Amino acid sequence: MADQHAVAATTHGGGGGHATVKTYINVAIVLAIITAVEVASLYIPGIPGPLLVISLLAMSAVKFFLVVGFFMHLRYDHPIMRALFVGPLLIAIAIILAVMALFSAFVLLPRVVL
Amino acid sequence: MADHAAVHAIHDPNLGNTGLDNRKVGMWAFLGSDCMFFGSLIGTYLAYKGKSISGPLPHEVFDIPLTSYSAALLLASSLTMVLALAALQQNRLRPATGWLFATAMLGLHFVLNQVYEFTTFVLHHNLTLSTSLFGSTFFVLTGFHGAHVTGGVIWLLILVMLAMRGKLDARDYTKVEIAGLYWHFVDIVWIAIFTIIYLIP
Repeated sequence: MADQHAVAATTHGGGGGHATVKTYINVAIVLAIITAVEVASLYIPGIPGPLLVISLLAMSAVKFFLVVGFFMHLRYDHPIMRALFVGPLLIAIAIILAVMALFSAFVLLPRVVL
Repeated sequence: MADHAAVHAIHDPNLGNTGLDNRKVGMWAFLGSDCMFFGSLIGTYLAYKGKSISGPLPHEVFDIPLTSYSAALLLASSLTMVLALAALQQNRLRPATGWLFATAMLGLHFVLNQVYEFTTFVLHHNLTLSTSLFGSTFFVLTGFHGAHVTGGVIWLLILVMLAMRGKLDARDYTKVEIAGLYWHFVDIVWIAIFTIIYLIP
């Protein structure tokens, strides 16, 4: 009976399939390795600044989407849930870039002085 | 069993017209709005980065090994959270309670690390909310994140207490899943903060 409830609880309400425990552990191992590489890269001399920044942002993005996709089950979830999160996430990224551009905070988009 | 699920679904007051659980839709909508909230705080930090006219500066105060340890704690807590959910899904209540408690303790450890970090900044580096642009933007951003983690720890401990009193079982899967969504969200915000604030020179 309890098992039936357990199954029923996961077959409605928008939840699709979920990852297995083995997948969760594999994702956690990958997350740990990426974090270790991120921190270690700070202590490796000679890495050019732009390359370091880009690689750190890329590794951070991979970790972000691994957690969202597998741990938060968004990969398996209903498209409405995906839209509810990804839409505002894109707006948040746009806010960050816009504020930085307004304050000339990065060199890629220098403020034009008339 | 399929009939049972169908009947259960028909009578579930939490299901909306879309067939989705209202609580879960609400949580995703909240997390979306929280994304924009933290986006504005991160944007403000980056906009003012390097513009403080007085010290101390970030590289003088940051303790990268400590914050790396904190990042590891939150990542580990995300794993224990999904393991709690997986155990609850199989109606294994004792492991589920244990994993939930472990998640709360890892979160508490993170909060205590942050308290130690803030105390060190204030007492040893004279860096406060009003010292400089760096102090203001750093404390507001990481402080709000810490408040989110603290809220999550309290939520998890309430779930643990409910489980210990026998008031939480596999039928409450969605309740725990929603708490898990919130918990993973504070983890992904820290992933962004850790890289953008602490690691990028």
